[in-house]
Amino acid sequence: MTAAAVAQGPTTTTSPYRLTFGHVLRSEWLKFRSLRSTWWTIGTTVVVMVLFSLSMAASFNFAAQSPEMAAEMGNISTVQAIVLGYIFAQLAVAVLGALVITGEYSTGMIRSTLSAVPTRLPALWAKAGIIGVVTFVVGLVGIGLSYLATAPMLSGNDLVPDLGDPIVQRVILACAGYLALVALLAVGVGAIMRHSAGSIFTLVAFLFVLPLVASFLSQEWVRDVEKFLPMNLATAMMTVTDADAGMVEVLSPGAATAAMAGWAVLSLAVAAFVLKRRDA
Amino acid sequence: MIEARGLTKRYGPKTAVDGISFTVRPGTVTGFLGPNGAGKSTTMRMIMGLDRPTAGTVTVNGRPYAQHRSPLTEVGALLDAKAVHTGRSAYNHLRAMAATHGIPTKRVDEVIEMTGLQSVAKKRVGGFSLGMGQRLGIASALLGDPKTLILDEPVNGLDPEGVLWVRNLAKYLASEGRTVFLSSHLMSEVALTADHIVVIGKGRIIADAPVGDIVNGTQQRTVRVRTPHATQLAELLTRDGSTVTSDEPSLLVVTGADAPGIGELAAAQGFVLHELTPVTSTLEDAYMALTADAVEYQTEAAQVHVGHGAAGAAPADAPAQTPEGAHR
Repeated sequence: MTAAAVAQGPTTTTSPYRLTFGHVLRSEWLKFRSLRSTWWTIGTTVVVMVLFSLSMAASFNFAAQSPEMAAEMGNISTVQAIVLGYIFAQLAVAVLGALVITGEYSTGMIRSTLSAVPTRLPALWAKAGIIGVVTFVVGLVGIGLSYLATAPMLSGNDLVPDLGDPIVQRVILACAGYLALVALLAVGVGAIMRHSAGSIFTLVAFLFVLPLVASFLSQEWVRDVEKFLPMNLATAMMTVTDADAGMVEVLSPGAATAAMAGWAVLSLAVAAFVLKRRDA
Repeated sequence: MIEARGLTKRYGPKTAVDGISFTVRPGTVTGFLGPNGAGKSTTMRMIMGLDRPTAGTVTVNGRPYAQHRSPLTEVGALLDAKAVHTGRSAYNHLRAMAATHGIPTKRVDEVIEMTGLQSVAKKRVGGFSLGMGQRLGIASALLGDPKTLILDEPVNGLDPEGVLWVRNLAKYLASEGRTVFLSSHLMSEVALTADHIVVIGKGRIIADAPVGDIVNGTQQRTVRVRTPHATQLAELLTRDGSTVTSDEPSLLVVTGADAPGIGELAAAQGFVLHELTPVTSTLEDAYMALTADAVEYQTEAAQVHVGHGAAGAAPADAPAQTPEGAHR
C-alpha cells in the first residue's frame, strides 16, 4: 500500500484544506460542546459533588460536637469533606466519557466521523484529550464549589481545609486527576463496546460492584488484587491519614496514581487497536 | 476515479461482495444498480475505508481513501442518511465535519443554501424527515468540494422535486469533470441519471456498460419462437452461438440471434414457424432479467439458467460472463 501511494505522486490535491490533528481536535470540541447531554452530565457531576460535600460537612460538624462520633471517625483529614463527592461524580464522568463514543455508534454519526478522519485514531485521541481536560477542570470546579458551599458550615468548628497547605492541594489535584482518568477509562470502554448501556454497565461493575465483591472475599490474593481496583486506587490517591483510607491497606498515592493511569492507558490502547481494525 | 480490483467482503460464511472489479470514471455519472442486499452499500463502505475488504483493493483518485491528506476534498460521500448525531443541529454537524479539514464556516453556509436546508439548519437532526436527512447527507458530501462523489441511494425519501434536484446535481457535478458514483435499486432512476451502469447481484458484477448498451443489449437478445421443429431449430441456433431455452415443447426462447436471422435460418431448412416474436422489454424488465438469478438463487448462476423462466434467465447469463472474464 505504501509503495502504491508513493507511485501516485501526481494526484496530490490542490485544495488548501488539510486533515490535521489540530483540526480534528477543533471538530471534536465543537461536537462535544454542541450536545445538550454534555452540559447535563457536567452539571450533574458538579451538583453531586457539592451535595455530597455538604453532607460530609454536616457529619464533620456533628463529630466535632460529639466525642463518640469523633472517636469513630478518627482523625479524618478535613480536605476529605470537599473531595469525597468523587465517589458519585465518577459515575457521571464515566457516562460522559462513554457517551462521547457510544453516542456516535448509536446514532450512526461514527460513520461520518470516520469518513472525515479515515485514519481513525486521531478522532479517538482528540475525544480522549477533550474528555480528559474537561473532566479534570470540572472536577476542580466541583471541588471549588464544594469548598465555597461548606466553608460557612465548617468555619464554626475550625474545620475548613487550608487551601494553602501542599497536602490539601495534592489531594485536590488527585481527586480531579482521578475523575479525569475514570473518564478516559470510560472513553476506551465506550470505543471497545460501542454500546451505551453495555459500556455503562461494565463501568459500574468495574468501579462499584467489583470492589464490593472483593471486600467480601477473604483470600490473600484478593487483597493484593483489590488494591488495584479504581475505587481503592482513588482512596489511596486521596489519603492523608490512616483514617482517610478507612484503616484498609492501600498503595502509596504515587503508585496508586500510576496504577490508575495504567487502567486508562490500557483501556485506550485496546480501544485504539480495535477501532483501527474493526468495520465501522 | 474509483478503481476496485478483486474487491471481496465476507461476513463469516456469507459473501457480501465477491471479487468485484470495476472502474468509475470522471466526467460521467455512474450508476450502481442492484437489488437490496446485492452488496452496493458494502462496496461503497469499502471505498470509504469504513469496512475492511476481506480481499482485493479499491482506490479513489489513485490511492486508498484513508491515505489521502485531505480526504473530504477527494471524496464526498452520502453513505447513510442517518449518519448524524440526532442531538446535534444540522448546522453544528456540518461545522464539525468541516472543522476536521479546516474548511471555513462560509462553506458550511454555502452547502446549506445549495441543499435548501436554511430553514431547518439550526434545528436538531433528530426531528428531521427522511428527505431532510438526505439533503443534510448530501450537504455533508459537498462540504469539501470533492473530486469524487459517492451517493448511496441519494433519492430515497425525497419528494419528486428533490429527486429531480439530485438528478440534475449529479449530472452537473459530472459535467464539471467530477466522478459521480450513485447507487440505486431502481433501474428507472439510474437510467435517467447515469451515463454508465454497473449492475451488481449477489455480490458479483452482472453488467458494466453504458446505459444504452445495457437496455438495448438486453432487449434485442430475446426472441420467442414457436415451431413444431423445435429440437432441430434449437440445435442449429446453438451451433450458431445463440443460447436457447425451452419451457414447453415447441416453444424456444432464443438469446443472441435476432428475429429476421432466425426466420431466415428456419426458412432455409424448411421449418414451419408458428410464432416469431422479438420480446421487447422495458428498462425495468431488462434490470429484472439481469438480476433475476442473483436474487433468486443461492447456487451458481451458470447451473440454474437452463430451464429457468423464459425471459429472465438467458440474458442474465450472457453479460455475467463478460466483465468477470475480462479481469481474469
